[in-house]
Amino acid sequence: MKIRGRTWTFGVNVNTDLIFPKPHFRPAYEPGEMASHLMAGIDEGFASKVRPGDIIVGGLNFGCGSSREEAAGAMREAGIAAVVAPSFGRLFMRNGINFGIPIVALADIDRHVTEGDELEIDLDISSLRNLATGYHASLAPMAPESLRMMQEGGIKAYTRRILAERRAAGA
Amino acid sequence: MHALAKIIAAHAGRDSVQVGEIVNVEPDLIMLNDRGAARARALLAEMGGDKVFDPERVVVVFDHHYPAIRPQDAEAQKVTRVWTKAQAISKFHAGEGIGHVLFPEKGYARPGSLIFGTDSHTVTNGALGCFSTGLGHSDIASGLALGYNWLRVPEVLRVVLHGELKPWVTAKDIVLKIAQDYGEDAAVYQAVEFTGPLVRSLCMDERLVLTNMVIDFGAKAGYIQPDEITFDYLRSRQVTSGWTVYETDGEADYARTIEIDVTELDSLVALPHDLSNVVTAGEAAHIEVDEAIFGTCTGGRINDFRLAAEIMRGRHVADNCRMMVNPGSADVFQQAMREGLIQIMVEAGAVIGVPGCGPCTGCHQGMMAAGEMGITSASRNFRGRMGSPDSSLIVASPATVAASAIAGHVVSPSEFLVKQ
Repeated sequence: MKIRGRTWTFGVNVNTDLIFPKPHFRPAYEPGEMASHLMAGIDEGFASKVRPGDIIVGGLNFGCGSSREEAAGAMREAGIAAVVAPSFGRLFMRNGINFGIPIVALADIDRHVTEGDELEIDLDISSLRNLATGYHASLAPMAPESLRMMQEGGIKAYTRRILAERRAAGA
Repeated sequence: MHALAKIIAAHAGRDSVQVGEIVNVEPDLIMLNDRGAARARALLAEMGGDKVFDPERVVVVFDHHYPAIRPQDAEAQKVTRVWTKAQAISKFHAGEGIGHVLFPEKGYARPGSLIFGTDSHTVTNGALGCFSTGLGHSDIASGLALGYNWLRVPEVLRVVLHGELKPWVTAKDIVLKIAQDYGEDAAVYQAVEFTGPLVRSLCMDERLVLTNMVIDFGAKAGYIQPDEITFDYLRSRQVTSGWTVYETDGEADYARTIEIDVTELDSLVALPHDLSNVVTAGEAAHIEVDEAIFGTCTGGRINDFRLAAEIMRGRHVADNCRMMVNPGSADVFQQAMREGLIQIMVEAGAVIGVPGCGPCTGCHQGMMAAGEMGITSASRNFRGRMGSPDSSLIVASPATVAASAIAGHVVSPSEFLVKQ
């Protein structure tokens, strides 16, 4: 799985309240609605600037705080190709995997990317390259279970398949 | 294996598991709060599931948005009530308090159990010696459909607490000390076990504060080894059987150990907008507060009310400040009334709200205006969390919140408890 995209950079301890602020919570969302509020707690205009295929680069503990999966859901809907940071809030990381978004942990990455740099991430060979600077790093391989769930399209697709298999086995 | 790994293994149908391994576990209970229930039932349907795997293992709690303030919340709650009945879920609690306060109180959280919930502070239950953590709505919907979720077996960070607390210093000050010294990412992906002589002497209300806040320095679960205080607590909640105590094998089961002596610890506050932005209450005394927010799953238990009432008795909330009080549960509310604590707080000028999350998650009464400064016994001081995006929050112990409400600025509770 190879990803190439331009970057948007954020600071340390970016919490999910900032990624998807509470006033935008709904019991159900219209298509595109979640994406339209992405990063609204930091930059109201972000949703109109970001393009499908872009990569978000965060600082330490990116996505900490509340379990709200809209933070990951909005990124998926906006077409964010990957999120890279030195470390992640565990719920955000988990929700990212469940939404099929590559969540890439890499020490010091925030010091090696300037906003707008283009990154190339190859999950098959666990490598990351900053095409603007030539910086290159190896990634810790992703757990095979996580990679499979991501490639299947996330937990929704996974659950649908298991339920269908159970039904078929029961029939 | 660590006790938590043993709990995970037992719920994965395995004899043993290894740290870092990903396994599927069957939870004993899944907690859905108001918004979590609304999202999870919608996602369950999207995933093609029509029935929850076991209605006996699902608990629905309305705590964030109850009673409904906006029509959209009332609509969502209406549909969830119908869904809860149709799914034959009998464990339903609306207006009885915050899920994380109710789980220990109702005997849902027990040693050795495995609990998932649609809220990050589900980690609170770990004080009773169980594995309890929050999951996203899609995760929970998948769990409701299939009866299991994936879990990575975590490394365990051990926090050993020594010494004796000053009378006005509480568990909340200890967690703020950890945030100050080790940062908001102190335990990312890990579990945190609290142990040591001090922990052994803490009452359950205080232990629950320690585990409640592990998520706020990144952890996926908190844990305290069950002991006589745990069993006394369970008996006091009419729980007399139905638990398993797991023991940790040895030193090798800890990734890291932190030793903290609390003897010199004073009341601490986390200044806006980061939990690791910690100073002593004395150092922040120049900061005036517009609102004092007392309650939440971190600081709304009976022990907190007792200390606050002691500070507020015969005094009045400062003219420049307002105080919002939300008991953690109806049970806490009633106990506080029986002990005359609510009377003291009302006489001091506090406003008492419904048992529940209150303003903490930005969706109930007590919102703040732009430019205002609040002090709260909650766990988070994220920018604008309790109102206008331009409002600010200071996180402190319930005692410090009560004292600051009286003073009208940040102050150590020792000012009122010692210098009578």
